[in-house]
This record gives sequence, C-alpha cells and structure tokens, in this order.
Amino acid sequence: MPPRLDELTMARRAASELQPGQVVALGSGLPARVAEIVPSGAPVQLLSDGGALGYKLPDNGEGASGPSLCGPNGVSVALGKDGSVVGTADWAAMLRGGHVDIAIVQPARVSAAGDLLGWTTAATPGLFAPGRTVDLAAGGRKLIAMLPHTSSDNSPNIVTESFPVADGRGCVDIIITDIAVMRVEDGALVLAEVAPGWSYDDVVSLTGAPLAPPGDLKEIAPSLESLNIERPGKVFPDGPSAITDLHDGATVMIDGFGGPGGMAHHLLVSLRDRGTRGLTIISNTIGIARIVNFGTPAGKLAIDHSILVENGQVAKAIATYPVSPSASRPSTFELAYRRGEVELELVPQGTLAERLRAGGAGIYAFYTPTGAGTLIGEGKESRVIDGKDYILEQALTADFCLIRGHKADTLGNIVYKGTSRNFNAVMAPSARVTIVEVDEVVGAGELDPELIVTPGMYVDRLVVRPEGFSPYE
Amino acid sequence: MVEEKERLPREVVAMRVAKELPDGGFVNLGIGIPTLVSNFIPDGSVVFYHSESGVLNCGPLAEEDEQDIDLINAGGQFLQMVPGMAFFSTVDGFAMIRGGHVDVTVLGAHQVSATGDLANWMLPERGVGNIGGAMDLAAGAKQVIVAMEHTDRSDGPKVVEECSYPITGKGCVSLIVTDLAVMQPTPEGLVLKEVAPGWTVEEVQGLTGAKLIISPDIKEYEL
Amino acid sequence: MLQGKLYGSPQAAVADIQDGSTILVAGFAGYGVAERLLSALLEVGSKDLTLIYRDGPYSEIGSGPLPSIENLVSNGQVSKLISPIPYSPGGGGTIEECWQAGQLEIEIVPQGILVERLRAGGAGIGGVFLPTAVGTRFESGRERRTFPQGEAVLELPLKADYALIKVAVADTLGNSIYDGSSRNWAPVMAMAARITVAEAERIVEPGELDPEAIISPGIFVNRIVAAA
Repeated sequence: MPPRLDELTMARRAASELQPGQVVALGSGLPARVAEIVPSGAPVQLLSDGGALGYKLPDNGEGASGPSLCGPNGVSVALGKDGSVVGTADWAAMLRGGHVDIAIVQPARVSAAGDLLGWTTAATPGLFAPGRTVDLAAGGRKLIAMLPHTSSDNSPNIVTESFPVADGRGCVDIIITDIAVMRVEDGALVLAEVAPGWSYDDVVSLTGAPLAPPGDLKEIAPSLESLNIERPGKVFPDGPSAITDLHDGATVMIDGFGGPGGMAHHLLVSLRDRGTRGLTIISNTIGIARIVNFGTPAGKLAIDHSILVENGQVAKAIATYPVSPSASRPSTFELAYRRGEVELELVPQGTLAERLRAGGAGIYAFYTPTGAGTLIGEGKESRVIDGKDYILEQALTADFCLIRGHKADTLGNIVYKGTSRNFNAVMAPSARVTIVEVDEVVGAGELDPELIVTPGMYVDRLVVRPEGFSPYE
Repeated sequence: MVEEKERLPREVVAMRVAKELPDGGFVNLGIGIPTLVSNFIPDGSVVFYHSESGVLNCGPLAEEDEQDIDLINAGGQFLQMVPGMAFFSTVDGFAMIRGGHVDVTVLGAHQVSATGDLANWMLPERGVGNIGGAMDLAAGAKQVIVAMEHTDRSDGPKVVEECSYPITGKGCVSLIVTDLAVMQPTPEGLVLKEVAPGWTVEEVQGLTGAKLIISPDIKEYEL
Repeated sequence: MLQGKLYGSPQAAVADIQDGSTILVAGFAGYGVAERLLSALLEVGSKDLTLIYRDGPYSEIGSGPLPSIENLVSNGQVSKLISPIPYSPGGGGTIEECWQAGQLEIEIVPQGILVERLRAGGAGIGGVFLPTAVGTRFESGRERRTFPQGEAVLELPLKADYALIKVAVADTLGNSIYDGSSRNWAPVMAMAARITVAEAERIVEPGELDPEAIISPGIFVNRIVAAA
C-alpha cells in the first residue's frame, strides 16, 4: 500500500474546511494539531476548553506576556488579537448553544451512520474518560472526526454496525483519516478524497462499512486559501444601516434595566424611524424611565421603549416590569394594553434572565422554584425535586437583539460599564442577529482579554453611538 | 379608639428589621421601608448589599452632582462608587438570589398570610402588575423578612389568614415586622412575638386578619 | 464584628471538612489547582469524601509533585469520584487500581453536562434539559423529552459542601479574579459549594480590583488563604 498521511497533513486537510469568521472547537489528540496549521492572524477563532477563545500556538520569543493559557492537549498556548479568556461553563454554553461552527474530535471509532465512540481502554471496561468529546460531538454545527483509518491491529476504525453504547449519535459530518476523506450523507458514507497513490478499492479494503464510490475521486491536496480571506467586518456606519433586515413581525430583545444606562438609544430611535411593525419585544421594562424617571438624572426625559409603542410598532411584550409602579401615572404601554392593542407575557426577572441564558446556551428548558404556586406557574408543569416545588420554564430566543455596550473591538468583543451590563450581556448570545451600540470601537487586541464579558462570537454588528447623540429628549 | 393611637414611624420599623440582619451577611433590600433598613445597621456590624441591577457591595446613594446612569440600584437610584464593589450581569445576579447565596431579603407587601405566603406584586383591581425580582427573591433568598405598615390605607388588615391578592411566593416569609408588631409565620399559625409600645395584644389582634398565637415570651418591640 | 474571610493557614481553612463531605476541586490540566489546600486536606485527613473535579494532573506538563486527587485516593480518604476524566488517560494508576478493587466508586459525566449541573446547583435551578447526552451512553436512566428545538435529557443539579479553588487575586471581601486557564471550573464551583475556599496568589484591600474585572464576586467566596 502507498504511504499514509502524516498527522500534520491530516491537520492541514481539516484546517482547509475552515471559513473566515468561524469559531472552531478542537479536541485533544489529532484535532489539537490543527492549531499548528492555522496561521497566526488567520480569520478564525480556535476554542480550547482550557479557557482560551481565539488561541494560537505561541510564536518564538512570545508567550511570556498575556494570560497563562492551556490548549486542548494541555500545552501552553497564547491568545490572538481576537482572543478572550472563558470559563468551562462558557465553553459548554458556546457549544451547546450552536455558536461553534466546527468541532473537531478524535474518536476511537466512527460508524457509517455518523455515530462515534470516544476514548476508552480495553483494560478497564466500564470506565471511560469522555472529557470533552461528548460535548464537542453534540455541540459543533459541523463535526469533523479525525482518526487513523485502522487500529494498531489493522482492524477498521470506520465500521458499519451501530454501537450499542455511543458517545455521539449521527453527529459526524466529515471523517478525515490517514488515507481518505469521507462524508456522512443520509446515514451512509461517501468517499470524497484519497491520499496520494491510494485507490478507491484500497480504501474500501480497509473500511468496515460500505463506501459509496464518488462521482469524482480527488486526491487529498488541502488548500488554506480561505484562511487568507479577511473575515467579514462587523462595524456598521450607523443605526439605520445595521437594521435594514429587521422585518415586520420580528422578535427583538432590547435592553436597559429600566433607566437610560445600558440602553441602545440610537438603535431604538433607528428602529422607530424604520417603522417596522408587529414586533415582539423582550425586555426588562417596556418603558418606565420617562414615566417615573427611573435611573434618570433629575430634569431629564429619557428615550425608552415607549417610542416604539407610541408609534404602533409593538404587538407583544415579554417583560418583567411592564407598567408604571404608579397606577395613576400609566405608561404608554399600559394604555395600549388596556385598549387591547398589545399582548403581554409577564415573566419574573430572574426567570427572564435564565430563559435568555438558556436560549443562548442550548438549554431547552429548566425547572425553577420562582413562581411555583403562583399565577406565573399556572399552565406550566410543576414538579417536586428534592422536596421543593419547581415549575418548568422554556428557553427564549429572538431574531434580533439591540443592546448597549461600552467598548467593542473590531471583532465584536464587548465590555460594559457598571450596572449597565445587566440584561445586555445575557441577551447577546440568545438572538440570531446581535447588534451592539457602543461608545467606542477600538482595534483588535486593545481590550484586556480577561475583561471581555461578551466575546465577539456572539456579536454580529457594531454601531458607534453618534457623537453628540443624547439619550434624552 | 385604637385608630387614634400612635404607630411606630417607618424608621423604627426599619431599625427593628436591621437587628435581624446577620453580621457579614448578603442582603437585598426592596423598595419602601426596606430601603431605610440600611440606615440602621448596628455599629461594628457589616452587611453587604446585593442589587438586582447587577452590583454587589453597594453603598450609599450618590449626590445629585455625581449621578452616573451606569451606576444604579434596582430602584433606579444612583449609587456612589465604593471600594469592594463587583459588577455582574442579571443572570449572575439572580443565580445569587435563587441559588441561596443571598442571606436575607427585606420586602414590602400588600398582604402576608399566617403561613408566610407573600403578595406584593399586583393589586387585583389594577389587573396588571410588575413582578421584577420579587418572585425570585421570595423563592430564593435564605430568609424573607417583610417590613410594612400593619394595615392598608383604609385600615384593612394586610396580615391575613389567606392572601386574596395574587401571591408572589408560598410560605416564604419568615418574619413580619410592621408598625405595630413583630410576627412569625409558622406551620401552626402566626406567632405574635413583639408589640409596639403602648399597644395591647388585643388591639393588635383587632387590626390583624389572622388569628395570632401569643408567644410565651411576648415582649415590647425590642430595638 | 464580622469574622473576616482571611485564614492564616490552608490547614485552618479546611480543618472543619467532615468525613463524608462532597468537595469540588477546581483545575484544568494542572492549571488553577489549589495545591496548598489539597495538601492541607491530606493532612487534615477527612475520609469518605466525594470529589468532583475535571481531571487528574497531567504528567506531561510537569505537575508530578502536585498534591492531587490521586494522593487523596492513595491516602484512603475518597469513596467516590465524579469527573469527565477521572484519571490520567493512558494510565489510571492508583485511581484505576482502587476502582478495580471495588474500593472506589466512579461516576463519569461529560464535562459540559457536569459544569451545567454544577451551575444549576449554584443558581438554584432544579434541573435542566440538555441535548448533549441524547442517544449516548450518558443518557441511561435519565428522562428524555421532545422540545421544539429537539430532544433533550433531564440533568439534575449538583451541589457540594466545599469548593477548593485557586485565584490570582482576591480582595479581603472575597472578590476574585483569575489568570487565564486557571479560571476554568472555579467560578461555577464557587457558586455550587456551601463553603468556597480560595487559595489566592495575592490578597488585596477592597477597591484595588477593578469592579468590572471581577469574575467571582465575594458572595461566592467564603474563605481566603494566601498561596505562598
């Protein structure tokens, strides 16, 4: 048989799948070697469960500065200019929440249906060390399995039978081995590429599963061209240009705890001027700042959600504090609600935060004690867990999210200011399109990676609040 | 007539509540009388305040010329920057509450029942209300203390056998401090522990909508 | 007067750990391990412990002399381990031997599920429906349901008596920051434990840390010990 590919060539083949702007989570073993291929400054972000988002291998003479970081193989890594430090819970949420474009794992075996078996030892049946594999397998939007085509005893690692127990089911999209590249399509394997010198029949003879012959069998010759393309920019010139696709009937998260701090006023005004109708707004309040001066300096009248309600754009609100604290001073929203023009779903504040987090973190539903035995629990499943009453609450997501940050870098990493972090940081991962209004956009690498609250992976568009813009009327 | 007798001022109610706060504990104060509690922490004792606006270890309110819209409490008031503060998102703020990390919350109420049900988010006649963080605090704080007036504006009892208003949480209140009395909801019923100076047990019972169990060591409001 | 959070020695900070306690041990591949606290736990000698942790120390990063989970197991202090990687892959050493001999219970939980169960415990959540384990060996015995997003499995919260974490800087109120990969499991473990003990590289006065930079607010940190 012709020679097999070495590990770095396999890593190169995997790296050729990466597209500009993507987030790529690497497992240990062969996948970790992809980091050796991706050039420093490439327009992708590598994610390690060691807590590094946007990492690279240290360049010579570098690595002494910056946080002390660990790659998936336990080796020391450095952050790129787009990098930030994350905790394990953040890592898991990124994967489960569908924010990782590609995950790459090294399983022990892969089945024709795309099931995988993680690392185990024959010597200790019953004990496994799945570590990150199960999370990577379930979490990457696209999953690449890298593994030797055969085991040391020459038995195939790509097999027909489904495993009685597995570490991932139907999750593998692409298999890269030391002799071939295969795709899992409709539960069956298609041979896409072979190592130089290898034939279709050669590969079939070492594969334990039927392998559909390709229409056009290519030799593995990875190109990293796509890593030379600049990633799409995120900075938009102004509010109106950042929301041109915000459509009638959209669900929109808008924050601000209640006062003018932490509210994306410029985007809010842009949305008012755009006139988009039938909106469902998810927010803490639906405009109380101008009624009771909540969080508003004396003598000022703050712009808030009321401008959308007044303009007839809101069909429904999902909120925690929807009306004025004083019945004698009703808000615009309350008046519209009394006229039957808008719907309201009232949610306790902590439940709203948790439902938003769930939406962004790939948690489908959760049990909370909040609201058990009250009106809020009516119509919801209730359950006693460990002697305490809980109700089931569902995740919340949205089409758009208009939030307020303090500073961003050009890659969308965000820091907030004081109590204006509030729901902003919670909403950012939960919407399909997240648009952030900031005071200032700085260059990549200018924010302290330990301080970044919302990594750029959650941020799609940035708008700088125009100079001289006032959040007050 | 009992109606003419003097009730305790709000500050004294707050002072009585302050005695309940554990030294070094984490405390969340609601709006109204609860907000006043921070003025009466005993000398030599330390309490750390948590606010749902996303800040821990918050201190006094800011002067008017130092108001910063990025530094507010859950009531929308401006805070001073003090050493030892920490900022966090709403999801972390409520993880602190629901996770049992907040030792005490002091809340106002429309009604409290003899078994500790709390109603403080909606008046039925209005038909719509604000929940805010109250339900999470009721469900999550280790201890829920209610600080309020003993009766409503028309002198109807706010301490009742069973809440007629929509409740915020079931059986969550561990202590009720009013301008007339200190009461403790228990599974057996509502125990009257202290009464305001000049008031008799009978007078307090007359303004209370639930049967009071008189504590064997009942005493005058202790400050 | 408030009993401060500062403890004079690691031994003093873990002296009250009772037999039968559940302890969260932060760390990832040797980063962010509270070495002095683990050494002190060896000295204190509490037994019948359940340890929840990410991984055994990796020999390849030179953490050989680190006091470790394995030392505690060797010392006969541990009855159960809950971990995604309970021992060093490729050589289980004492942990594997004790497990083979039936002296040690091991519960394997994939790390994203484990960290979310701890977060649920710390955040007062009664359970979370996660898609991760669907169809895998880790689904076994758990409730599966269909949601609009797809199928998910109910994972129950985990809490503990103690968490032993390593922080870069703590102020005397317990507000803490980490260095790089040392953050890992610590912020979640600090939430999920009744008593969190932080071994701090540096201890400062309140006000010295940027309040925007704090990762673990003092409400989650009960005791502080200097790392050296």
